[in-house]
Amino acid sequence: MLPLVLAGLAVALVWVAPGLLARQPRFRRAPRAALLAWQAVSLGGVLAALFVAPAALPLFAGADDLRQHPALVVVAACVSAALIVRVLVSGHRVGTRIRAARARHREIVDIVAEHDRDGLRVLQHPTATAYCIPGRSSRVVLSQGVLDTLPEEQLAAVVAHEKAHLRARHDLLLEFFTVLHESVPSALRSHRALTEVRLLVEALADRAAVRRSGEVATARALVAIAQSRYPDEAMGAGTSAPVRMQLLALGPHPRLAATAYAIAAVAFAAPLALLVAAWS
Amino acid sequence: MPHSTSAPRLGDLERVVMERLWEAGHTDGATVREVFEILERDREIAYTTVMTVLDRLAKKELVTRVREGRAWRYFPADSREALTAQTMRRTLDDMEVTDRRAALLHFFDGASSEEIADIKAVLAEVEAKAEERASSPRGLRGRLRR
Repeated sequence: MLPLVLAGLAVALVWVAPGLLARQPRFRRAPRAALLAWQAVSLGGVLAALFVAPAALPLFAGADDLRQHPALVVVAACVSAALIVRVLVSGHRVGTRIRAARARHREIVDIVAEHDRDGLRVLQHPTATAYCIPGRSSRVVLSQGVLDTLPEEQLAAVVAHEKAHLRARHDLLLEFFTVLHESVPSALRSHRALTEVRLLVEALADRAAVRRSGEVATARALVAIAQSRYPDEAMGAGTSAPVRMQLLALGPHPRLAATAYAIAAVAFAAPLALLVAAWS
Repeated sequence: MPHSTSAPRLGDLERVVMERLWEAGHTDGATVREVFEILERDREIAYTTVMTVLDRLAKKELVTRVREGRAWRYFPADSREALTAQTMRRTLDDMEVTDRRAALLHFFDGASSEEIADIKAVLAEVEAKAEERASSPRGLRGRLRR
C-alpha cells in the first residue's frame, strides 16, 4: 500500500498542490514563507517519486533479508536513479542555456553601456527599463530612459529591488523551478508553479524596495515605468505588475507566514515519514 | 592568480577598443597599429594585447575586418546606438520567454493597457493609505484596527 501512497503523494505534490497553492493568493503577503512552501512542495514531490521504488522493496522481499534479493534491490535502485538522472539532465540543459544567454548579454552590456560610479550599467536608450543580470559576475542595468523618468527616491527603490534579486540569488530559485518544471512529464506539468514563484520573487524584491524608499515611491516607480512604455496587449494576464501593486496596497501579513511554514514542513516530511513507515 | 585579474581587464579593454573604433567610424575603421597608437597615449599597453582584444571582438561578431596588405583593418559591426537598441530589444522580447525570464530579472515585465489603468487605480489607494497613516495619531488607530 505505502508505495502506492507515495506515488499518489508524488502526483499530488507535483500536480495538485501547485494548483491549490496558487489559488491561495493571500500567501503572497508573506512571500518569503510562501516561496519556502513552494520549494518544499516541489522537493517533497521529487522525494516521494524517488522513494516509491525503495518503499516497494519490503513488499516484494517479505520478511526476508534484502541481501537475499539482490535483483530486487538493483531494480529499485535503477528506478530511482532514472528519476535522478532525469532531473540532472534537465538541470544541465536549463543551466547551460540560461548561463550562455546571460554571459552573451553581459558581454555586450559591458561594452555598450556606460559604467556608473556605483557599479551600475547605463544603456543610452530612451525606453525606461531596469533589470539585473544574475550570476557570479552580476550587473544591475538601467536605461537612460529610466534615469530620466524617475525621481531619486523611486530610482533608489528600483535599484534596491534589483540588488535584492542579486543578493538573495533569486535566479537560483527560478532556475530550480525551471529545472523541476522541465523534468516533470509534460502531461503533469503545471505552469502555475513557475508563474507563482516568479511573482513571489518579485514581491519579495519589492519588500526590499519598500524598506529603502517606502510603499509610495515603490508603487510610483512601477506606475511611472509602466506608463512610459507601450502597452503590451500580448502579455495578457501573465504580468506581475497588477498583483505587486495590490500587495503594496495591502502590506505584509506576517501571521500567514506560520501557515506557509507549516505547509512546507508537512510537504517535506510526508515522503520521509512514508518511507520510514514502509521500512519498519 | 593571473586569470582572475586579466579576465576583467580584457573586458574593460574590449570596451575601450570598441569606443576607439566607434570614434574612427564605420567607413574608416582602424588597424591594430592605429588603435594601439591611440591607446598607448594614456596607458601602458602591448601591441599584442590590442591584437588579442580585436581578435576577441571579431569572434564575438562585434567588429568586422578586411585584409589590408599584411594587416587587418577593423570596423565596428554596428554603431553604438544600434548595438544599444539591439541589447534593449533582446532584454525586452527577443529571447524565448521562459529563458529571458530566468536569465534576466526585470523590474517591470510589461502590462496591457487594461493592466496599466488597473495599477494606476491601485496607486491612488497606496497613496491614500500612506497619507492616512501620516495624519492619524501614531499607533492608536493602527492598533485598534488590528
